[in-house]
Amino acid sequence: MNLRTTLRESAAYLFYDRFKKLIVALLLIVFLFVLGQLTVSNFLSLGQVLLTIKLSSFIALFGLCQMIVIAGGGSGLDLSVGYAATMTAVITAAIMDGKNENLWIAVLVALGIGLVVGMANGSLAAYVKLPPLVVTLAMSNILQGVINVYTAGRNITGRPSPVLQIIAAKSIGIFPNILFVLLILAPIVMILLFRTKWGLKLFGAGTNETAAYLSGVNVRRVRFMSFVISSVLASLFGLLLLGNMGIAFKDMGSNYVMPSIAAAVVGGVSLTGGDGNYLGVILGAIFLQTLTNLLVALGWGDAGKWLGFGVVLFILLIVYVSNRRSR
Amino acid sequence: MQAPGTAARGAARRFVARPEFSTLLILVVMFVLTAVLQQNFFEIKSIARNINAFTPLILITMGQAVIILAGGIDLSAGTALSLFTCVLTTVMRKADPWSGALALVVVFAVAMAVGIINGIGIGYLRIPPVIVTFATSFIWLGAALFLRPTPGGEAVEWFKAFYNVGAIEGVTDSFLKRFTDVIPPALLLVVIGCLFWAVVSKTRTGRYIYAVGSSNDSAYESGIDTARVQLRACLVNSTFILLAALFFVGQNQSGDARMGDPLTLRAIAAAVVGGIALTGGRGSVYFALVGALILSFVNKIIFFANISSAYQTLVGGAIVILAIAASQAYTLSNRRAR
Repeated sequence: MNLRTTLRESAAYLFYDRFKKLIVALLLIVFLFVLGQLTVSNFLSLGQVLLTIKLSSFIALFGLCQMIVIAGGGSGLDLSVGYAATMTAVITAAIMDGKNENLWIAVLVALGIGLVVGMANGSLAAYVKLPPLVVTLAMSNILQGVINVYTAGRNITGRPSPVLQIIAAKSIGIFPNILFVLLILAPIVMILLFRTKWGLKLFGAGTNETAAYLSGVNVRRVRFMSFVISSVLASLFGLLLLGNMGIAFKDMGSNYVMPSIAAAVVGGVSLTGGDGNYLGVILGAIFLQTLTNLLVALGWGDAGKWLGFGVVLFILLIVYVSNRRSR
Repeated sequence: MQAPGTAARGAARRFVARPEFSTLLILVVMFVLTAVLQQNFFEIKSIARNINAFTPLILITMGQAVIILAGGIDLSAGTALSLFTCVLTTVMRKADPWSGALALVVVFAVAMAVGIINGIGIGYLRIPPVIVTFATSFIWLGAALFLRPTPGGEAVEWFKAFYNVGAIEGVTDSFLKRFTDVIPPALLLVVIGCLFWAVVSKTRTGRYIYAVGSSNDSAYESGIDTARVQLRACLVNSTFILLAALFFVGQNQSGDARMGDPLTLRAIAAAVVGGIALTGGRGSVYFALVGALILSFVNKIIFFANISSAYQTLVGGAIVILAIAASQAYTLSNRRAR
């Protein structure tokens, strides 16, 4: 045949086709590092790369919540992850009070908060069929209100247990420990999504709702579960966030919400649902953190960060999601 | 022979059966409750104060209603409002009255740009409206923070005319002052908004907005340029947000990059309470105004119920989600019955 078909069948092309979005995310990161090295001195070094990965880990963790909800389709997104995590951190800080033996109570509380929030989100989004973004935005307002009420009469006291601090804040040699959390989490997530029946159902519900329903998948329950899992994970990550920060405060999680969604989009998760590669989300998180570092180094501050995130998300939506009519 | 009044009674019965009736009924109940709780409710001063407090939500809700009718949703409305106030207070110089006119021109251009960007995303690129306006909301936020990292800025004296003509230095006892004592400028802004929509809804675009919102594909196949219709809906929305921004700057004489955030969700909730279906194509912009009034009265009632301020975000959020869920459940059950 001609050259084109030969090229299309070549192993290199197949590899490219399958990991297209991962490669794009990786190239974007490299591009930012090179750009940073050219404009800011001492931007590219092993230490800097590792620090970037450490800082991006929480974006990647919350990105996992987003990925699971997005994969179930129905334009799922979860804006309540930030305040679910904050609420867990604020409440469990007082419970743990810097002692390891109280950690299990804290974990139970985190699970409880996650279940309640997730079930509320899931039932409104999957069963009442409200737009998930509106539901979870309202939910995050409610959680913020609960935190306000909880902290109204008292100061936020307590510290995380040492174990949490070791996992989230310390490092072995030059490698931050939170990196190992991601290294363990990523394959587990990939196996759950690509090698279990539940993952298949989730992707099925996301790819084609009707087809999944006709093949016997309870689409509403699958989506409901995805919100529950997202909230439970978010609350558990709230414990890690507390470990990382050392203290709890009112808005500790809210800055991760928008980046976590952007990370999922940068990582090539299709917003219409039906796929999801956690490696991509991690790369997306690293990209966003590198972008933040670069903008901060250039002295653009908070304004530059949000503007940059917004523009990047908008452009990637145009590239990945837009569905122009052909004329 | 028919008894006189039967026809009228039939019309009344038909009206009671309409969903708008329940909305109006809730409004009346809220109105009565507020009037009972607020002792000086019917004094001209407190009426003016209530109108001032309700106006921003009403305007944002009407804009949001238009965009939802066209099959979209605007999560960037609040940050767009913030951005407009920041633009206005950055361009204006208190000492130079003419800078106010320049600011109006600049902010109008910014508003149109905001509408066009959202409209291109929703209409032409057909990115899901929720996510594209979520993305643009951060662009507006970033831009607003660039202009005003902290709340502040300055405004020309005559900008107070959008809030209270009597507050302007130099205006003492003119006809204008007496007129706006009775009819606050905020009410005029709402009336301007209503007239604006009255004109737009009579045009072809106004009718197409409903068609596109009901079924984008059918509208497209009937030869409607759906993308252009949605773009125009976004421009209408931007205009409403601009009116709200004028009021805010008139009232506060400053800009704030974060002040619009809570309004986005409240406006969506108000539109839904007013009978706008989130699926698009069904509802009336004027009833969205009624929805905004209902939520505003609820806010007043919460205020008079003497709940400590710590509870207010919580109660506000809970009411929003309950209102949306109840309206949606009502719509779903109606559709099943049919």
